[in-house]
Amino acid sequence: MAQGKLRAEIHEHHLTPFKVLLGTFLGLIILTVLTVLTAALDLGAANVPIALTIATTKAVLVVLFFMALKYDNQVNTLVLSVGLIMVVVFITFTLFDTAFRGDISNVNPQTIMEIEREQQALETGGAEAAAPQGGEH
Amino acid sequence: MSATTTTSVETHDAHQTNGQHERLQHHFASLDQQFDASKMGMWLFLVTEILLFSGMFVAYTVYRVWHPEVFTVASEVLDPVMGGLNTVILLASSFTVALSIHFIQKGNQKALTVNLILTVLGACGFLVIKYFEYTGKFSHGVFPGENFSPHGDYAFVDIPYAAQFFSIYFVMTGIHGVHVLIGIGLFIWLIIRALRGHFSAEWYTPVELTGLYWHIVDIIWIFLFPLLYLI
Repeated sequence: MAQGKLRAEIHEHHLTPFKVLLGTFLGLIILTVLTVLTAALDLGAANVPIALTIATTKAVLVVLFFMALKYDNQVNTLVLSVGLIMVVVFITFTLFDTAFRGDISNVNPQTIMEIEREQQALETGGAEAAAPQGGEH
Repeated sequence: MSATTTTSVETHDAHQTNGQHERLQHHFASLDQQFDASKMGMWLFLVTEILLFSGMFVAYTVYRVWHPEVFTVASEVLDPVMGGLNTVILLASSFTVALSIHFIQKGNQKALTVNLILTVLGACGFLVIKYFEYTGKFSHGVFPGENFSPHGDYAFVDIPYAAQFFSIYFVMTGIHGVHVLIGIGLFIWLIIRALRGHFSAEWYTPVELTGLYWHIVDIIWIFLFPLLYLI
């Protein structure tokens, strides 16, 4: 690359205004209070996604304004994005294994549907309902 | 650099008249190029940090999917007041480190030093609270690993798979704590250099990069706090 071109690109670093930094900090404190309050409520299964959504919002605020990625060279956004995609792959593909163990590696000659029907019959109807279905194998 | 409007000390202006700067290494064309290269290197390092912690977040996710009810009960042992206080302290120290960069960009060396000192105080406060949390757990037999034998107030958590929750808790907060400790060391180094007048509006790369590191440490805690203490 020509020296002249690089010289021409010289620019001042972005100076994030004090008000923006203060606003980000106050926003983060408000979100912290919010996550404590919502976690105190018993919302059942909704508690986890709510807490994660608030935490992600806080992380985005820190990255955009405290780390100034919003005003930064876009190659850094690319670096972070590739890293985050890898984290998603890591978690998702691990869960493909751990969350479905026992389902996919089933080596029983019966199908899962048959086993479930058998169990249901045992729970509701006792031995007489299970007898015609199962048999020896 | 002729467009620079900052009020820096004269010694630095003298070096700039011919487009050169005492901090500019010969293999870079300009201070800006040097700054951008350093910053991208730091972002690459931060990605490796995120991946380091993501391994532990995966362990957390797997055990939570397997034993959700255990995690709900076990998290009641952790004090959300102490965790919340630490969250506020870390957020405040992230704010002061952002301010320190803001002020050195304006050439204000005194405000830089003051904000760096505030940051290091916040980091120390975080570790003091963490110390009280850890010793409170240890005194009730809540240890990581096979020594896990809760008693007294925490006897209710003596259930299967609670030991895994606390192993994950101690490893994640422990490695996070090590990062805070490293941060304290870096900030003390920055304070010494700031007091010696090494930083200016034209060159403050170490402050910027340490700031980025500190924000990542903050972000890790932003996720640890709700996942471990609240839900």
